[in-house]
Amino acid sequence: MACGSTSLWAGETSWFCCGNAWGPCASTGGGACGNCRSGANHGAWPNASQACWDITRPDLCGENIPRRGCGSVMNVRHQCSGATVCITITDCGPRTKEWCGEATCCNGTCRTNRVLDLTPAAFSAIGSLSSGKLPVYIYE
Amino acid sequence: MTARQDHHGLGRRRFLTTAALGGATIVGATALGGLDADAAFAAPAPSLDPAIATTSFVEGRITGITGSILEVAGSHGDNSRVQMTNATSVWKVRETTAEVIEVGDGLYARGVPMPDGTVAADAVWVNIVNLHTTIRGIEKRRLHLAHGRHELVGNIIDGTSNASYAGRAPTSDLSRLRIGQAAQVLGAWRPADDSVDIVRVTVGH
Repeated sequence: MACGSTSLWAGETSWFCCGNAWGPCASTGGGACGNCRSGANHGAWPNASQACWDITRPDLCGENIPRRGCGSVMNVRHQCSGATVCITITDCGPRTKEWCGEATCCNGTCRTNRVLDLTPAAFSAIGSLSSGKLPVYIYE
Repeated sequence: MTARQDHHGLGRRRFLTTAALGGATIVGATALGGLDADAAFAAPAPSLDPAIATTSFVEGRITGITGSILEVAGSHGDNSRVQMTNATSVWKVRETTAEVIEVGDGLYARGVPMPDGTVAADAVWVNIVNLHTTIRGIEKRRLHLAHGRHELVGNIIDGTSNASYAGRAPTSDLSRLRIGQAAQVLGAWRPADDSVDIVRVTVGH
């Protein structure tokens, strides 16, 4: 399935590690879908399943994010630079409810709430890992 | 020449190729990465030069350093060679230089594939981690964290470690951290003792 251009959501994205890895990431495993890899353009979605939703609860931050399961593809675009990466959903996350109201801004415009987690490969395609989070638009 | 000037002129691929071949003296290349977190937030410059049609990502442990080449063993059995240039931005706890990179370090890198099979790195992040944890203990110099089913020690680094509370701007005041809080920890893994040097700990409400 190819990445599309229909607007799906917007918000903050963070990054996480998964799959075989070094350091503390060595214990993370393949994620909710079993095939997540830090070196691939993968992502975690807060509503990958009902069980996932029950953990992440984005609705508690006012984000009624639609269900997109394992294997869904999304285009993720940095709000300001326009850099884009096409990802496949392979995990559940982030735990949106834990950071309600958090905002990340660029060029004076902010995106609120963590609605996506990217692997290092995907995140570094649109921004610096050392920033920790980025404001993004998400398309499908 | 700076990376920003290059953005408007010389193609990025040619720029890195030239740098990889040692034909230029270039400093301050941060168009792709390597900025510390605060600088990244403060400077909304493009995080990735759109002129780069295709970049490569490298992940793994550094098994050898030969001149400006990092030998990297990937976590899935692959092997890569990362070419450091004088335009490569390096992050290891903070923005730094290639001299601090050691055999045994973990690495993420992004750069341009070269004809010789190396990847000319625009940015390398050494030992960087971004972990979802729970705070289990607080000491003056360190935090005890639970990461999944594992315990992890987070080292508090003077002048570096900061905290962000409920989405507010980072502060060096860590006194409001509480046991039991969920905490996102951005930091650098220490291979020697498996602890993490904390750059930023983010907690919610």
